Amino acid sequence: MTALLSVQDLTYTIRKRQGWLGSEERFTLSPVSFEINAGETLAIIGDNGSGKSLLARLLVGAERPSGGHIFLNGQKLDPFNIKQRCLNIRMIFQHSNESLNPGLSVGRILEEPLKLNTQLDARARQEKVVNTLKLVGLLPDHQFFYRHMLSDGQRQRVGLARALVLDPQVIVADEPFAALDPSVRSQTVNLIMALQRELGLGFVFISHNLGIVRHISDRLLVMQKGLVVESGKTETVFNWPKSEYTEKLVMAHQSLINR
Amino acid sequence: MPLLDIKNLTLEIESTQGWIKALDKVSLQLEGGEVRALVGESGSGKSLIVKSIVGAIPEHWRITADRMSWKGQDLISMSSDARRRIMREDIAVIFQNPVNSLDPSASLGEQLMESIPDHLLDKGWFWQRAAQRKQIAVKLLHKVGIKEHSKYLQAYPSALPDDICQKFMIASALAASPKLLIADDPTRGMEVTTKVQILKLLTRLNKIRGLSILFVSHDLLAISNMANTMTVLYCGQTVESGKMHQLRRRPLHPYTHALMESAPSFRKDLPPKSPLATLDGTIPTLQHLPIGCRLGPRCPRAQRECVKVPEERRIHNHFYSCHFPLHRSLK
Repeated sequence: MTALLSVQDLTYTIRKRQGWLGSEERFTLSPVSFEINAGETLAIIGDNGSGKSLLARLLVGAERPSGGHIFLNGQKLDPFNIKQRCLNIRMIFQHSNESLNPGLSVGRILEEPLKLNTQLDARARQEKVVNTLKLVGLLPDHQFFYRHMLSDGQRQRVGLARALVLDPQVIVADEPFAALDPSVRSQTVNLIMALQRELGLGFVFISHNLGIVRHISDRLLVMQKGLVVESGKTETVFNWPKSEYTEKLVMAHQSLINR
Repeated sequence: MPLLDIKNLTLEIESTQGWIKALDKVSLQLEGGEVRALVGESGSGKSLIVKSIVGAIPEHWRITADRMSWKGQDLISMSSDARRRIMREDIAVIFQNPVNSLDPSASLGEQLMESIPDHLLDKGWFWQRAAQRKQIAVKLLHKVGIKEHSKYLQAYPSALPDDICQKFMIASALAASPKLLIADDPTRGMEVTTKVQILKLLTRLNKIRGLSILFVSHDLLAISNMANTMTVLYCGQTVESGKMHQLRRRPLHPYTHALMESAPSFRKDLPPKSPLATLDGTIPTLQHLPIGCRLGPRCPRAQRECVKVPEERRIHNHFYSCHFPLHRSLK
């Protein structure tokens, strides 16, 4: 059986020239490879500036990789064919507030990807929007709301609805829980887990919160300075970390809990 | 005598629907050398409390309190000069959102050196002062865990990641060696190892220098790690306050219970991928506050009496305000 999403030797290099004679500053994402199956969750953890967000952007096609391939269901994704990719891999952005257009109603925000990517007529689009809103636990009336009328948790749900509206197979999320309050955060976590169970989504997410990472993820990817330091099953990595950096992270987390 | 003593602080904001109580009879006490956590979700008025202690509240808002004193001196009736002096010498604040609260037009080094008070550098001639300031600034930076100081002293806030700016904020708050540090969400968005580093630094300052800390956050993991006592806030009402270990072992208010349940790290028996316990709904906005106990509409134990504001009750040092606390069974 082929994996839902498999990434092989993905690399990326940024070169920045400083001044005239200044040295060249470089950031390289070293070869990254991983696989996830349908219904599985992959968590990416690491320092700030370790290339986690970059990896997420590479997956959804916001950046073009310097080398390597991404396969979806065994089929290679062409870096130039954005349409093919955005139908299947969707992203939830870090700041749910800033990523919603303040001038458009929620209904319009959700309709936009349907207009651009599908052949549906106005009526079918409307139906799809309403269904998606119901799916994420909002009311059909919320399509007439604007960004400022929604609470944090509801905005996060709209972000999720925008990702789900095209029936994707993989969702990539960049720190989806960071800005949320504890009770709203648990609601969102529950919602994502329930949707994953129902729809068989692959879910890739970036987080700082190791408690949640341990709770919901199946696999883990630890990154440091553009290198993948460690990867494997979450429980294995948490219980028997191999690299020094992972051990430091896990120890820090444990020391916070056991006091 | 407590260091900071606030009793029944009420803050009212004028809106189109009349005056709204953004803070409703909040009480808070802080002893010298104590680390107190102030917990609440966003919109619960944590930052408003911080601002009213510091005095950074717009003048047309109504602020009333039975008592609000710093070491026995009344803060409300005090002249603004005297209050300023206290804020300069004794109280330091780390504000939320470091990138926005730093000056974007001055380099971080300038801002940090500006916050070093003159009495720390009274030795030497005036032309040696700048070098001394720099030395102190570098020392402060090393203390908060920034090693490459020369790179960051020249930089502007917009060019640096959040956690470095946050560390600069902490460094400049500690520059005047205050007696009380008010930290408004100091570990937000930080990665675990950096977070542990900052928490250790604050704990060390508390142990060695006897610095009292008011730790405002909603990161329960960080709080339970360093705080001795805790006050839980919901929608501008104090819900429960007491010793940290008491609250963690046996919360009496349904809201505190729900908060503790929502952190998966606290519960070791939880099987992976099982749903987490939550309260339904979200925090109401200021325009639509429910009457009585503000948790009412979301509370699993709510009954008819909850439309009246519950009085504060106590068991030893453990204060709570609820009609139907968890240790009593429902009728």
